[in-house]
Amino acid sequence: MSGGPLIVQSDKTLLLEIDHPDAQACRMAIAPFAELERSPEHVHTYRLTPLGLWNARAAGHDAEGVVDALIKYSRYPVPHALLVDVAETMDRYGRLQLANDPAHGLVLRALDRVVLVEVAKSKKLAGMLGNRIDDDTIAVHPSERGRLKQALLKLGWPAEDLAGYVDGEAHPIELAEAGKDGGRPWTLRSYQREAVEAFWAGGSGVVVLPCGAGKTLVGAAAMAEAKATTLILVTNTVAGRQWKRELIARTSLTEEEIGEYSGERKEIRPVTIATYQVLTSRRGGAFTHLDLFGARDWGLVVYDEVHLLPAPIFRFTADLQARRRLGLTATLVREDGREGDVFSLIGPKRYDAPWKDIESQGWIAPAECVEVRVTLTDAERMAYATAEAEERYRMAATARTKLPVVRALLDRHPDEQTLVIGAYIDQLHQLGEYLDAPIVQGSTTNRERERLFDAFRTGEIRTLVISKVGNFSIDLPEAAVAIQVSGTFGSRQEEAQRLGRVLRPKADGRQAHFYTVVSRDTIDTEYAAHRQRFLAEQGYAYTIVDADDVLGPPLPTVD
Amino acid sequence: MSTSLADHLRSLPDESLAALLQLRPDLVVPVPADVAALALRAQSRVSVSRALDGLDQFTLQIMDAARLTRDPADGTTSVDGVLALATTGPNPPAPTAVRAAVDRLRARFLLYGPDSALHLVGGIDEISPYPAGLGRPAAELDPRTAALCADPAKLRRTLLSAPPSARAILDRLAAGPPVGSVPPGALQAPAVGADDDLPPDDTNGGAPTGSPVRWLVDHRLLVRVSGGKGGTTGMVELPREIGLLLRRETGPLGPLSSSPPQVAATPREPKAADSAGAGQTMEVVRHTEALLEQLAAEPAPVLRSGGIGVRDLRRLARATGSDESTAALLLEVAYAAGLTGEMELPGVAGRYGADQQVLPTAGYEMWRAASLAQRWEQLARAWLTMTRQVGLVGQRDDRDRPITVLSAEAERAGAPAARRAVLGILADLEPASAPSVEEVLALLDWQAPRRSRGRENTHREVLAEAATLGVTGLGALTSYGRLLLAEATANEHGATDDPLGLLADAEDGGGAIRALDTLLPAPVDHFLVQADLTVVVPGPPEPALAAELEVVAEPESAGGASVHRITTSSVRRALDAGYSADDLHDLFRRRSRTPVPQGLTYLVDDAARKHGGLRIGSAGAYLRSDDEALLAEVLADRRVEALALRRLAPTVLVTPYQGGRLLSVLREAGYAPVAEDATGSTVLTRPRARRAPARVSVGNRTLDPLATPHLPLPRLLGVVEQIRRGDAVARAARRAPAVVRGAASDGPVPAHSHHDALAVLQQAVRDKALVWVGYVDAHGATASRLVRPVSLGAGYLRAEDERTEMLHTFALHRITAAVLEK
Repeated sequence: MSGGPLIVQSDKTLLLEIDHPDAQACRMAIAPFAELERSPEHVHTYRLTPLGLWNARAAGHDAEGVVDALIKYSRYPVPHALLVDVAETMDRYGRLQLANDPAHGLVLRALDRVVLVEVAKSKKLAGMLGNRIDDDTIAVHPSERGRLKQALLKLGWPAEDLAGYVDGEAHPIELAEAGKDGGRPWTLRSYQREAVEAFWAGGSGVVVLPCGAGKTLVGAAAMAEAKATTLILVTNTVAGRQWKRELIARTSLTEEEIGEYSGERKEIRPVTIATYQVLTSRRGGAFTHLDLFGARDWGLVVYDEVHLLPAPIFRFTADLQARRRLGLTATLVREDGREGDVFSLIGPKRYDAPWKDIESQGWIAPAECVEVRVTLTDAERMAYATAEAEERYRMAATARTKLPVVRALLDRHPDEQTLVIGAYIDQLHQLGEYLDAPIVQGSTTNRERERLFDAFRTGEIRTLVISKVGNFSIDLPEAAVAIQVSGTFGSRQEEAQRLGRVLRPKADGRQAHFYTVVSRDTIDTEYAAHRQRFLAEQGYAYTIVDADDVLGPPLPTVD
Repeated sequence: MSTSLADHLRSLPDESLAALLQLRPDLVVPVPADVAALALRAQSRVSVSRALDGLDQFTLQIMDAARLTRDPADGTTSVDGVLALATTGPNPPAPTAVRAAVDRLRARFLLYGPDSALHLVGGIDEISPYPAGLGRPAAELDPRTAALCADPAKLRRTLLSAPPSARAILDRLAAGPPVGSVPPGALQAPAVGADDDLPPDDTNGGAPTGSPVRWLVDHRLLVRVSGGKGGTTGMVELPREIGLLLRRETGPLGPLSSSPPQVAATPREPKAADSAGAGQTMEVVRHTEALLEQLAAEPAPVLRSGGIGVRDLRRLARATGSDESTAALLLEVAYAAGLTGEMELPGVAGRYGADQQVLPTAGYEMWRAASLAQRWEQLARAWLTMTRQVGLVGQRDDRDRPITVLSAEAERAGAPAARRAVLGILADLEPASAPSVEEVLALLDWQAPRRSRGRENTHREVLAEAATLGVTGLGALTSYGRLLLAEATANEHGATDDPLGLLADAEDGGGAIRALDTLLPAPVDHFLVQADLTVVVPGPPEPALAAELEVVAEPESAGGASVHRITTSSVRRALDAGYSADDLHDLFRRRSRTPVPQGLTYLVDDAARKHGGLRIGSAGAYLRSDDEALLAEVLADRRVEALALRRLAPTVLVTPYQGGRLLSVLREAGYAPVAEDATGSTVLTRPRARRAPARVSVGNRTLDPLATPHLPLPRLLGVVEQIRRGDAVARAARRAPAVVRGAASDGPVPAHSHHDALAVLQQAVRDKALVWVGYVDAHGATASRLVRPVSLGAGYLRAEDERTEMLHTFALHRITAAVLEK
């Protein structure tokens, strides 16, 4: 191999050959402006997008530097047109600025008058702009800040937001790295520290870290940096309580300072943890809990699992542009394709690390992903063949043939804590009976859930059957094996989240196992292939085995 | 004066004359008869104009200086005089530069004669009436202005008292050209400054607006001159003396620069420029190929007005992922390179009513087989020489119709020259220097102002196209682009300097290709397979590898490398194409530099297992029975061997023969088969005897076919009448009146006979009478015919010929006469 590690494609993807000696340097050079799209084992794919390039401009990189990096590391000549395009795209950022004018408040200021004229005429901005102050300045109503930024982004003239952030109501928060109440001392991991620094430098944005890599601590460190009252939005009550536990253990905050705002309790304290569900619940068509956003002068808003952020929250977030916002996620893949809204409303991606990198540093457990193909019985095949199209996935996913396979898989790991994850309640009940294991599902009360999870953590229960509620934000560090039997069709992020359940590093550094049981020759296989795409692109190589190999006597290992 | 030039030329040595002819080659087309003719031609307006076209701005200015310093008496000037005038300004050029310019002019015989008495070539004043942008001397324009100019103090006072708006006009005219047209009424309006007579004007800050031109004319600073198009608007001219006075600061000739403007931009790294250009060449070749593949798949119809429609262009651009202007450029270039051509559509007209299509030619196949550099060179060479201005595509022509790709409207004979000029500018600079567009235009403007002015847009387009095609990279001419240009220029000169082609073989134009080849990536013969089932070819694939990948994977991303994805359907396609699972495993093992992931192996085996799970074949008929033993018996029966029965399933046999045959053969063999229809119900048939088509019995015929037929009387009478009428008509033809038979024999035709004939015919139509019509047939011969007119109109007479019982149409203007049958 001669030349650099990077190949620039004309569709603006960048292929980075990992085994090349310069690969690491090249990655550092292109990471600020290129989005990591796929990171399989040999060649990583980055993409140059307008968002990414503007992001880089926002972080202080200029077009010259980007072009230099591309030319320097490229193995082959880079097309002139692509370089010109990169320069032109980056040049569009910051022609408009949102700034605080001492006399007029929030204003949109133009460094290029023509752009301001073009933008002001656009129908998409109708009603967002106020009076024209002079040729280069237009007043903006503070409440339109988010929507204006969103609209300008769509017009291709992203504004540089110089209006700054309000500090919010101050509240002392410190990381308790020395250990609290007799706990062991600990330190932030290097990547967590980098993530917090990147976030703080940018003001607001999204941090992408694999499941189990300690996103809560990134949130806690951001709070310690802000030292202000904080609103934390989480997916459900259990996740909220985990946040609370973690915050009490890892920061100077005490139980009294942290409030829970959920269906059960409505506490507003200096640090308040609210669920998406309660915020989006309506009574008589109106959102009744919106006041929470204005209840205190929040200095920081943390969005946990930002890839799940419901659409109404986007609308509320548009009004929160003056507050610092931190989004946390493992997979910035939204099945609804609203990544652009996350960028303009929460903020650009501030930190991203390939899963395999974190794994190689030992912060998440190495995992083996196995797809087990079950051959349906003839009767099941016949039933599947004649089923209605919309029933087919359920038929294939809930085939009874899967049960013995799950049992066999459990028997393979007699000493491990195992989660069996499924989407269909009937199937979970079957599994529960068959395996004689407790079930956690949507209708399980929070108290019961807590009890079961605690029992699982202590090792009292070895196998837990959980429904979709287990997809997110439950911290079960001891789980080392996950077996999924059915899911939400081809959802990529669900797959990643489920894998995340077993990725907490194990005490003895042993491997985690992630099994997917699918029915051969059915739509189940196709969905499984789609689900695996995200993880495959993150470098997880799936092995496909036949159920007979699992069920039969363990074969003698050959090589 | 012409005699003196002729004398001068006559006295020259041969070499000097040859040098003149080399500098002004248009003088020898055609070769002049003698020196006098040569001198005459050298002073003709066209030839002088051409000679001036090739001169740079400084030389032209020196020419103007020579014109300005002419002695009014004998029209000569001197080198010293020119030198004195040229060096008056604030930044005088070096005298050597001026002398060099004079020498250039003398070499072209735009100036001739000794240093002290330089003659100017005739015809120069016709080409540009205002030397150096200065008007005529005041004495030639207006005596009162001349008087003003003769009094410098008063002139200065008048100038200083000019209102700002008037002064602005003066400055503009002083910079040249010295004449301006005056808006209608401006000279009738009150002059600026005559405030008392004027109403206040809001647009002028409340002060009244007068006419500055009127003020200037009133004060004799401008002179009204006749001329201007249409004559409704007047023209004013700034006299030379006042112009010179206003040019005090810049010098009498305006700003002079004896050397071309400097390029400020820092030169690029030559490697970076070459690399960017080379990257672009890969893009161009790839896009062109994609475009032509698209054309091959769906040829573009040619519009009636020529060219390819906007919709097709948009489709092609979208399909290849380029923008429309790039697609238009590549289409034009590919056409110029002979890669596409029109083909007549057989049969009916197509979608747009077009009967021609544009599609790739046979040459495309050869092009495709060539190396990347060769392919690019073919395109770039075509671009250099094509007489098309692609920038016009998408604009509107004189009749406000859009100009389409490949249409005749985008044809510009000057396009290659413009490309040479622009690239020549880049080539003359230091290697890899990247001037801005404005700088290139300024250089062109200095180098040949008479040629470049007004073509700035064309030159901009050339620069943009050169960047798109990769001739330039990062704004600088690439090394291989330079070679290409040199080769193209050399070829042109080679044709004349080396008529026998002795030198041509030495350098066969391969320099650019070789230079580009070293910049382009070498083909690779391997790929990297990854767990997400993508295949990355880290470079341009070898043809064999490309062919294999085309079968087994879907392309995902192209460019320097290519990314493909292996899917179930792509594996199935490979299996359909005849690969076995083992072949595929072997292919991946052989070509992949990385271990083949287990998932891929599984995918191939899984697809191979399912492949062919459903089978399709054709059969003439089937034989089915619930009794398997019975079918086995039939299959084993040697009597029905001829049916070639095959067992598909224990209960189904098929035969290639039709059902009827199956049925009869089985019956003969003693079985009892029953036919069934598509729904499975039995079809009962009774045997039907075969019959030929029905025929008529001979009994209905006449008894003796040879006997003469019996004719009844009425029929006979009819026959007789027919004969008689024929005879009468034949006789009548001979009886045609003389006037109708043709006037030629009977003297001149009366002038009114045609009118008379019409009247006769009209009457005949009414009366349904027979008329003799004389007329001139298509061969000019006169003929006559006895007809019964039926109708008359639209310049034609329709009439029935009695003899032939046919309806004839006569053009009225061919009818010479008409006479009623008596």
